[in-house]
Amino acid sequence: MLQATGALGLAAAAGCLGGGNEAEPLDELLEEDPDEFESVEIGHWWTADAEAEAFEALVEGFEEEYPDITVESSPSPGGAGSALEADIRNRVVDQDPPSTFQVWPGQALADYTADDLLYDIEGHVWNDEMEEAYLDGPIEVARPDGDFVAVPINIHRLNNLFYNVNVIEDSGIDPESIDSPSALIDAMETADEAGYVGMAQQTQSSWSTLQLWAQVLLGEYGTDVYDSVIEGNVEENESEVRDSLELVVDYSEFFNEDASSMNDWDDASDYINSGEAAFFHQGDWAAGQYETDEELAYGDDWDYVPFPGTDGMYVMVIDSFVFPKFNPSPNATVRFLRYAGTADAQERFNQAKGSIPPRTDVSDEAFTPFLQDQMADFEESDEQPPSIAHGLAVAPDIQTEVEGAFANFIDNWDVDETYNELGNSFQ
Amino acid sequence: MTDDTDAHTDRDRDRDADADTDTDADRDTQTDTETETKTKPATDDSSRLPAIGPGRLALYGALLALVIGYLSPLYGGLTTAFKTQEAYRETSPLQPPIEGITVDPWVTAGGELAMGMINSFALTIPAAVFSALLGSLAAYGLTKVNWRGQAFLLALFLAAVFIPYQAVLVPLRQFWSIVDISGLHERGELVELIITHIAYGTPICTVLFRSYYQTLDDELIEAARLDGASLARIYRKIVLPLSVPMFAVTLIYQFTQIWNDFLFALVLLSDRANYVVTLELNALQGAMATDYGVQMAGAFIAALPTILVYIMFGEQFAKGQTM
Amino acid sequence: MDSLRNSLRRLNPLSETATEQSQGTQTQGSLAGRLRDSDFVESMPFWLPPTLLVLLFVYGAIAWNIAISFTGWSGLGQPEYTDLSLEMYRQLPADQNFRASLWNTILLLITFTGSSLVVGLGLALLVDRKIRFENTFRTIYLLPMALSFVVTAIFWSWMYASNGVINTTLNVFGLDLLTHNWIGNPQFKLAAVIVALIWQFSGYCMIVYLAGLRAIPDEHYEAARIDGASTLKLYWRVIIPQLRSSTIGAVVVLMVFALKAFDFIYVMFGTNPGRSVDILAVTMYREAFSSSQWAYGAAIAVVLFALALTIIGPYAYTQYKRGAL
Repeated sequence: MLQATGALGLAAAAGCLGGGNEAEPLDELLEEDPDEFESVEIGHWWTADAEAEAFEALVEGFEEEYPDITVESSPSPGGAGSALEADIRNRVVDQDPPSTFQVWPGQALADYTADDLLYDIEGHVWNDEMEEAYLDGPIEVARPDGDFVAVPINIHRLNNLFYNVNVIEDSGIDPESIDSPSALIDAMETADEAGYVGMAQQTQSSWSTLQLWAQVLLGEYGTDVYDSVIEGNVEENESEVRDSLELVVDYSEFFNEDASSMNDWDDASDYINSGEAAFFHQGDWAAGQYETDEELAYGDDWDYVPFPGTDGMYVMVIDSFVFPKFNPSPNATVRFLRYAGTADAQERFNQAKGSIPPRTDVSDEAFTPFLQDQMADFEESDEQPPSIAHGLAVAPDIQTEVEGAFANFIDNWDVDETYNELGNSFQ
Repeated sequence: MTDDTDAHTDRDRDRDADADTDTDADRDTQTDTETETKTKPATDDSSRLPAIGPGRLALYGALLALVIGYLSPLYGGLTTAFKTQEAYRETSPLQPPIEGITVDPWVTAGGELAMGMINSFALTIPAAVFSALLGSLAAYGLTKVNWRGQAFLLALFLAAVFIPYQAVLVPLRQFWSIVDISGLHERGELVELIITHIAYGTPICTVLFRSYYQTLDDELIEAARLDGASLARIYRKIVLPLSVPMFAVTLIYQFTQIWNDFLFALVLLSDRANYVVTLELNALQGAMATDYGVQMAGAFIAALPTILVYIMFGEQFAKGQTM
Repeated sequence: MDSLRNSLRRLNPLSETATEQSQGTQTQGSLAGRLRDSDFVESMPFWLPPTLLVLLFVYGAIAWNIAISFTGWSGLGQPEYTDLSLEMYRQLPADQNFRASLWNTILLLITFTGSSLVVGLGLALLVDRKIRFENTFRTIYLLPMALSFVVTAIFWSWMYASNGVINTTLNVFGLDLLTHNWIGNPQFKLAAVIVALIWQFSGYCMIVYLAGLRAIPDEHYEAARIDGASTLKLYWRVIIPQLRSSTIGAVVVLMVFALKAFDFIYVMFGTNPGRSVDILAVTMYREAFSSSQWAYGAAIAVVLFALALTIIGPYAYTQYKRGAL
């Protein structure tokens, strides 16, 4: 009895507190020229090496631009962003968010936009000048529901196929000539016969294989099928989904034997460094592993092609900043977001991070030759599909389900079961 | 939680005294044999200590093999924590670090975990003290003073010891977002976590103190009451001083539990400045590149306080666990 | 609680005959009887605040969690307590992940509890044979119990790594065939977790059994010896039955722990550990705190709670009935 009453009382209190608050409209919050600024608190998980440097470079640039505003860094490391995600969600539910935070744009924002928790920043941050500097793909993910709510700060490319040049030459493979995901199997077979691991991969956690499947689907069937699938039409595309899963199963024959006990992707990418594997699929963050290896030179020892069949595509993995409602520092936040949308900010940040600026008007001089090539590919790209494994393409609950489906897939490599689970995941 | 079996009074005390001297261990074996024959009939010949026969050798062999098994995770961690990246790649984890020995992993991990260690102390000490104190008060009020319905409340306390915390996580999160201490001060989250641990630690402390107070002499208390002493005075003057050994047991139990907790901290802490050491250790493990050396060093650093407590107060630790 | 009571005699000079006396006063209660009404009031400051704290945080929260499980709360808003339904519970049976993790939870519960008890009893019997350095042996076997699951998960991920301690050891002994991807291969994942947890908990079972063994009255041994029982029979007929109450207590502790073996799996595998090792505690956390499916997570928590209740309930009730509280 006693506890039941207590719970009801608490629940009632929660009910009162929950619905009542309305966030103030942004126009009323912002001042043209405030006397002083609150500090801007930024939630992020850029805590490891290059990422930490990138974030510092960004903050430095911002503080040069706005000496009156101090930045309060609020890192939540761990779990590849899941710690930050949980922390931020908790704070947003409590209506106590940081000023802004690192978040994947696109559908990853679905929960925030569904409950109307982010300000529309068109006019305040996004303007014609900015829109002109962006390609369609990044613009679309910055306004998942039609309103501009996010400022992309970087783009990582997902559809890369890295290879070790010596291994490829030794096996007699011409990577440029591999024109489809199914053709890649022959190439891996050739490498295998020459005594190399066909494809380096980690299959202990599911996301790498999810990424791989998405590239296979894109490469084999193009963006129409891909878009249709991420919109939830799995059954309409049954044969494509099944066949692409089948291809990944075929690929798995050529994975390194210890794939399933690899702690993380960087262990797998070591196979390229050491010349034990021919190919490696991963986002372009993997290039950092080769660039820092003094024994390897870009072009001579390691290189990349777009994942077979995805020529002209730039599959995007993006981090962005948003303007949460109930903001502790509206005037400082808006200035930070404006800065994050400038060429200066994106140049500083991406150079260190090993990604490319979302803006197409940033000089590539300060970037490595690999990133210069990526920037050129990006500008010439016809399509910029969003990544599934990195939240841009599907809402978080779907993403969790899909990851779960792939966690089982890498357990049992069962196409039928995974197909059914994918069908359920997207419902 | 083991229940009373039947009569075991004087003889039992003897036996226990024996066991005690025996566990004081590593002493001469002669006395042991004597006490043993007196207290416990030999179950077979090999249990006579000095006679090192084949059976006895097998026994020690088994015990030592088990020791190796039980220590191997720690050993593998310890060797790896002292190796350079190169030595890590090139030598077996069973091999001690001879060439390529380094303390760098310890320095790195120590730097990462320093703040977490401080926060863990700031959390653990007050939470352990208050839950032990509340447990003692509750047990006193429910044991040494008679009224109806005590047993029911005690059953509620006992059941609360075993609640899976998952069953309260969502409301707990909601509760602390309504009672928003973290909004008042940047350290507020830690206070929320302290109160949470006090609340969830009180049941076990109550159960521990209760079983102790049942054995306390009622005569003294009744006499004091007849003299007109208040319950509060009796608690302060008689019960509290007698509770010191039990406080040691509960404090050690709670210190270990709260220091080692991960789930509550995971759910309630969002500001990195407030992260406790278990969260930092997990973050160390989830960072981009895998460095087992740093992870192992970090694991040892995070475990050090509980290991020290365990080694210094092994008996009290064991007592807290078994009741 | 035998061991405690015995040790208390040493600790407390007053209680030479504590057991008999306290029992005496409680049953008689002539004096206490007269004071009873005022006692209730006077003792309130002692037991009421802790009781309220526990009622609020434990039982209030459980009731609240049940209330949330009846809502449809998801996302980043607040729950609506006006529209309650059993919808979340209707979804559970169809959810394959839920079914798999329920099954894994039960599997873990049974195998972990059973094995820990067997290993712990084995340790206790070995240690109880009047050995030298008993204290040292006990200390080592119980040591893992002092460690956080975060710490043990990190140690064991290195044990199980492809180039880690276990595989290397197997190689040293020429047993290359037995090396596996212990935490990569779904066949071994759950077993790997269970082995690590047995490592951590068997020492606990050992001390529970040691206390039980040492509380067995000598007459029982004598009687069995007079009957001419062999060593094996002695154990089987005299010792094991006497350990029943120790076992029951340990089983409750182990089973309830097995239900919430969250930390270890979360640290080792993350929130999405794969169906072969998913347990309800992890599924609940993932649904509520990663996917913001709060009501669904709360419903899973209710199932977990119900499972725990089937274990705790009878235990707390019998303790209550027997006046052991």
